[in-house]
Amino acid sequence: MTEGHSSGYERLQSKKSLAEILEIAVEFERTARDFYTDLIPKVSKQIRYLVEELAEEEQHHFNLFNELKSRPDIEQYIHAMVDTPASDQRFSDAIQLPDLGEKPDDQAVLQFALGREHAAMEQYRSLAESTDEGPIKALFLFLANEETLHKNQLEKLYYETIHSGGV
Amino acid sequence: MKDPTQNSKLKTQNSVLIEHSDSGSILSPLKALQFLARKPVTVPLEPRPAAANYRGFHLNDNEKCIGCSSCQKVCDNAAITMVKVPHLPEDPVNGIRNLRPAIDYGRCCWCALCVDICPTSAISLSREYVHICTQEEIDSYFILPDETGIHGEFYGQGWQKSVDSDLLDLERQPMAEVEPAARIDNFDEIVNGYTDQQALIEASRCVQCGMCHDACPTHMDAPEYIRAIWQGKPEEAVRWIYQSNPFSHVCGRVCTHRCEDACSIGRRGQPVSIRWLKRYAMDSVDHQRVKEIAAEGKVDYLSGRRIAVIGAGPAGLTAAYDLVRKGHEVSVFEARSHAGGMPRYGIPEYRLPYEILDRDIDVITSLGVKIQTNTRVGNDIGMDQLQADFDAVVLAIGLHLGRSTRIPGAEHKQVSKAVDLLRNITDGEKFKLPKQAVVIGGGNVAMDIARSIARLQKQRFGEVKVTVTALEDKAHFLADPVEIKECSEEGIEIFDARGPQECIVEKGQLKGLRTWKVRSIFDEQGRFAPAYDESDELVHEGDMIIEAIGQMSDVSILGEQLTEELEWNRGRIQVDDNGHTSVDWLWAAGDCVKGPDVVHAVADGHRVAASIERWLSGRQK
Repeated sequence: MTEGHSSGYERLQSKKSLAEILEIAVEFERTARDFYTDLIPKVSKQIRYLVEELAEEEQHHFNLFNELKSRPDIEQYIHAMVDTPASDQRFSDAIQLPDLGEKPDDQAVLQFALGREHAAMEQYRSLAESTDEGPIKALFLFLANEETLHKNQLEKLYYETIHSGGV
Repeated sequence: MKDPTQNSKLKTQNSVLIEHSDSGSILSPLKALQFLARKPVTVPLEPRPAAANYRGFHLNDNEKCIGCSSCQKVCDNAAITMVKVPHLPEDPVNGIRNLRPAIDYGRCCWCALCVDICPTSAISLSREYVHICTQEEIDSYFILPDETGIHGEFYGQGWQKSVDSDLLDLERQPMAEVEPAARIDNFDEIVNGYTDQQALIEASRCVQCGMCHDACPTHMDAPEYIRAIWQGKPEEAVRWIYQSNPFSHVCGRVCTHRCEDACSIGRRGQPVSIRWLKRYAMDSVDHQRVKEIAAEGKVDYLSGRRIAVIGAGPAGLTAAYDLVRKGHEVSVFEARSHAGGMPRYGIPEYRLPYEILDRDIDVITSLGVKIQTNTRVGNDIGMDQLQADFDAVVLAIGLHLGRSTRIPGAEHKQVSKAVDLLRNITDGEKFKLPKQAVVIGGGNVAMDIARSIARLQKQRFGEVKVTVTALEDKAHFLADPVEIKECSEEGIEIFDARGPQECIVEKGQLKGLRTWKVRSIFDEQGRFAPAYDESDELVHEGDMIIEAIGQMSDVSILGEQLTEELEWNRGRIQVDDNGHTSVDWLWAAGDCVKGPDVVHAVADGHRVAASIERWLSGRQK
């Protein structure tokens, strides 16, 4: 695509309805939840707490996003078309889950989780930026904030776990 | 007040004459009748200001006062009692007690030694010229002063601490060190230690407040051993030291000295060099005599109980020391070729000579502790075997595995972990010495490996080419400031606030480390969230990159079954306050549960041994 001269077809492709976006968001959380839930019995008991907490957090987001989708004040905008940002493909790709191996360690799990949270945070932030002021923008900002909070918590945990002082 | 000489014939023009006219006449008592009609002179009880340097009642600035009790210790009349004030903060690690001095004015002689010694200058004396008590509180002589004075009204400060009256010596005795040029090509110990004269002067700085005792994880009796040094009794000092620390040579050299952080002298000056005084005491007494002192109090019977300890580091051997003194048979299983744990395999010889560490270990084995080296639990003997053969098992396995950044290229064979290289150096194992090394990390391990590689480079290549890069800025380095200073003195370049991005590999060869400038590490809430300035990129050239970012325990020795059986607490084995795990026969201690620190490991060893002793006493043989 030539920058600044996108065709009508490409412009159409670069838009999604709010319903689609929320559907992908819910799917994103569901696959993550299931991934972590499946991982729980595979990892050593030493780090099982980490995977359990991640699964719980994704379940929380899954419930939250589902509720949002059905809220009356959101429902009226559900068919509105929204510009999708450059991060859209990356975000969609993140739904595909990698193989962390038979027995991933805490660092591998944390790095994977951080990558996902970062992709989600970027996606919602970009969506908010490309949306006019109003309830849809507020919704994206809320989602971006949720993902940012979780990413920050994971980063702190990563530092405490991996960078234990180098002492 | 009226001038008593005003209306008297005692006064002449230029002088005052005292007339002693009492000739002893039998009429003399009648002379007293002349006062009969006079108005009595009374002095009101209400306070009023006295002279500027008046030694009135005590004032205590509660904000400044840290409850150290130096005032109580110095008072010859025992007029001061430290009183607990529950609502005040209490933080022993940072040298704060919620005690405040209460004064017994039935005993106080207003010498003001309490003022002159007060480390924080919280105490002074007021200008309040008044009786101790008012009519309503006529029997009250025991008072907890505050900053306003004893009757709640401030009359100004009288006697205060001045430079001339200050009893504290605020400067510590300097410690002589080998100069950088003389130390960079060898692993000889850097610190020389105190002379007799220096130790005596340094010991005399101590005010015996005991803040150090409270802050020390193993609660060493530092005031007592410092007093013994001051009295010229090093054996007595060693006796006090061995009350709480069988790793006294080690702690006399590489302790993190929390005691000094809490030292009350440090409020206005340099804290007492408690660590160096401990080293002085230990070095002053013949090793054979130290062994005899350590054996004092050991029971002269065998209990018939057997305890296994996994890991011959400070935690495991402290537990072993305590338990063998109680008459138990203790076997220590050590995977490496020598005992000592992290102090041997993680601390370079220029900070802690192996021969010094061996003295501590020799004292412990002389009491009957048996150490089986080259015996890796999990390979050479299983946990189930230990459970079957021993009454109790102590897990003290340290943090011997290094963490990796896992940045791109980190899997290259010339990217190593600091703990592995330090172990190689201790064991004398050969490795490819880099001509230019890049270290990732800002902690003590990073400094240790950087300085060790620098020494080897100087020996082999005649020059030092080591770069240290750390996420933190220098003000927030986790390494001891002395380590950072000495690193720079030895020609090691330190780049702070650099985030590692990639180990650059070209045609299979490691070329260096690419870093970005760290704009901030923590966010507004103090959480780890490094933010980089991608435009500020550096490539630190090197043919070896050494990661020193963190460590973990090798818990694989537990086996899957025991790992499942145990309760865990966020990646670490869960223990109660006494180090007891969720499995009846297993305790855990030291770095593997509390994180890296020698003196914490010693404290843990004591705690675990005491818990096992209680547990054994409640069980049938």
